[in-house]
Amino acid sequence: MQKSLKINKQIERGNIFASGKRHKLIFTGLFFLVISFLILDIFFGSVSIKASDVLKAIFADTGSNLETIVLKFRLPKAITALIVGIALSLSGLQMQTIFRNPMAGPYVLGISSGASLGVAFVILGFSANISPANLAGLGNWILIAASWAGAGIVMLLVMFISSRVKDIMTILILGIMLASGISAVVTIMQYFSNETMLKAYVIWTMGSLGNLTSSQLNVLLISVSVGVLLSLISVKMLNALLLGENYASSIGLNVRFSRVVIFACTSILAGSVTAFCGPIGFIGIAVPHIARILFRTSDHKILIPGTILTGGAVMLASDIISQLPGSESVLPVNAVTSLIGIPVVIWVILRNRKYSDLF
Amino acid sequence: MTEILAIDSLKIGFISGKHENVLLPPLNAYAYKGELIAIIGRNGIGKSTLLKTITGLQPSLGGNIFYSRKNIKDYSRMELAHRVSYISTEIVKVSNMSVYDLVALGRFPHTNWIGKIDAKNNEIIMDSIEKTGLSTLRNRFVSELSDGERQRAMIARIFAQDTDIMVMDEPTAFLDIGSKYEILHLMKNISQQNDKTIIFSTHDLHMAINQSDKIWLILADKLIEGAPEDLMIEGAFDHIFDTSTVQFNAEHGTFTFRRESRGSISVVGEGKLKHWTERAVIRAGFSLSLSKTVPQILVPNEKNSKWQFLKNDILKEFGSVYDLITYLRKEYILPG
Repeated sequence: MQKSLKINKQIERGNIFASGKRHKLIFTGLFFLVISFLILDIFFGSVSIKASDVLKAIFADTGSNLETIVLKFRLPKAITALIVGIALSLSGLQMQTIFRNPMAGPYVLGISSGASLGVAFVILGFSANISPANLAGLGNWILIAASWAGAGIVMLLVMFISSRVKDIMTILILGIMLASGISAVVTIMQYFSNETMLKAYVIWTMGSLGNLTSSQLNVLLISVSVGVLLSLISVKMLNALLLGENYASSIGLNVRFSRVVIFACTSILAGSVTAFCGPIGFIGIAVPHIARILFRTSDHKILIPGTILTGGAVMLASDIISQLPGSESVLPVNAVTSLIGIPVVIWVILRNRKYSDLF
Repeated sequence: MTEILAIDSLKIGFISGKHENVLLPPLNAYAYKGELIAIIGRNGIGKSTLLKTITGLQPSLGGNIFYSRKNIKDYSRMELAHRVSYISTEIVKVSNMSVYDLVALGRFPHTNWIGKIDAKNNEIIMDSIEKTGLSTLRNRFVSELSDGERQRAMIARIFAQDTDIMVMDEPTAFLDIGSKYEILHLMKNISQQNDKTIIFSTHDLHMAINQSDKIWLILADKLIEGAPEDLMIEGAFDHIFDTSTVQFNAEHGTFTFRRESRGSISVVGEGKLKHWTERAVIRAGFSLSLSKTVPQILVPNEKNSKWQFLKNDILKEFGSVYDLITYLRKEYILPG
């Protein structure tokens, strides 16, 4: 009798534990994927270095050129890729939930454009001496803060309009309009700026993981850590917001406060990345969907860590692909992320054509 | 007995710009523990607004709402979520959300900062799922449920929220008639067995009259509350739902089409046969009479297996109600 009761209990709790086991398995798999991609990313590059030399460079102090390449270029670049993947994906997940829109993401909704406007103000607006490549210390923080502000303003704008217009496609078009409008403003600014500023800005817009100075990497690391921390705090809020604001409010959520937290978090995450690496497309919109496919859940307790790992893995993979292993040429990482992300986005659109408001 | 919800001179409506758009005159009403309360009123009169105002999702424009004698304004959002739960008419569309996850959201006010579902919360969630008959569907995605099942899941969610008062805005709209009654049955069960007060709006007057403990009838100039029978006796429903084509029958609590009579007929007989023959005669547009001078229908009895129609000493026989009615329709053309 006791035993059958116990079994009964196990069946009753089956839901949590069966899917719990599955989730643990996927988490473990993703974790090892991230680690192996991280290692691969360090081992591959435009200069062919033997695996043994890479290990030597990391663990032995040889002072060779190879060591400089590995420690000064490849390692920071791989770490940047990881951070960028995590930050963009998390911000995409949060935006998709808060807008209740599967097509939301920092790039498509124009948030990245907003951030780039902030950057343009700093680079094109002040002096030829300011460019992401030669900024240090306080300058980095000014650049990143401008980027946050730009991202935040566009975020508010999209939020304001999407409270009036519920249709997903309309909001998408709106995002395109905002991005075009911003790029028009930037073009005007470019017209009035001098050659050096222009060059610095154009290089920045190409998007790159490899141009960060170590002080910039520090700033990026600190900012994204704050963003990740905020996103952990927002887990419960995001779950409540899945049902929409009325329901969220009726189960006890302070909607206004939650919005501020999630907004700040998204703007910091998307803005920080954009400030130093330029606009990188389709990671933010696609990765949350990949995480949803993998974990088959809407629970942010699972989705947030899931998106962090998936985002890191996808971005590292993009970086590996962009180096075209075996060759000496390097593709812009932006092109790779687009090619990975766009099929996912198209899949989501096709799947949702029946329910235009499902996410 | 103290009321758990009191509405005192409540003004509901919207604020647009600086204009207050008050929908109704100040409302007064009470709810006690374990009552199933139906809100009845014409479309657009403000039922949804009233429900949203009660649950604190929309600010009132005046007057007060008291939960257990404490003003709603003195509750925090979280405290209120412990007193009252809410289902709107909005259909929840979230992909990858299982029934379990949806119901688990009801535990929101009872869980820690990250929303951890511990053994105790899990037990309450499982109870709610069982209570609503969804045990076999608990791992299904909400997007794959039928309308009726989804509504059950929504009810399971607010049941898990464990509030004294559950507010539902048209919980049976969009449902087929079977699901309608199942949902209502579930609501009645919850209110009786678990001593929950359920306040719901509905357009189904017949259902409200037959099943609810109390009705809040919203008229353009006031809110009348009372047992459905009290309101029937007072004749409160008599004219509010009447239109040029539909008429409310105060005796049965049903609606009939208003039309001119084709004439009077008396139906003679007993039991089920008489009842259904009368129904058919009324549907065909005749009025019933007991008079011996009007045409007569004799329903089948032990001696006779056919319907007999007697008029001016001419007798006609019919094998079914259908044949009888078809004949009557042809014989009696509508006046005008």
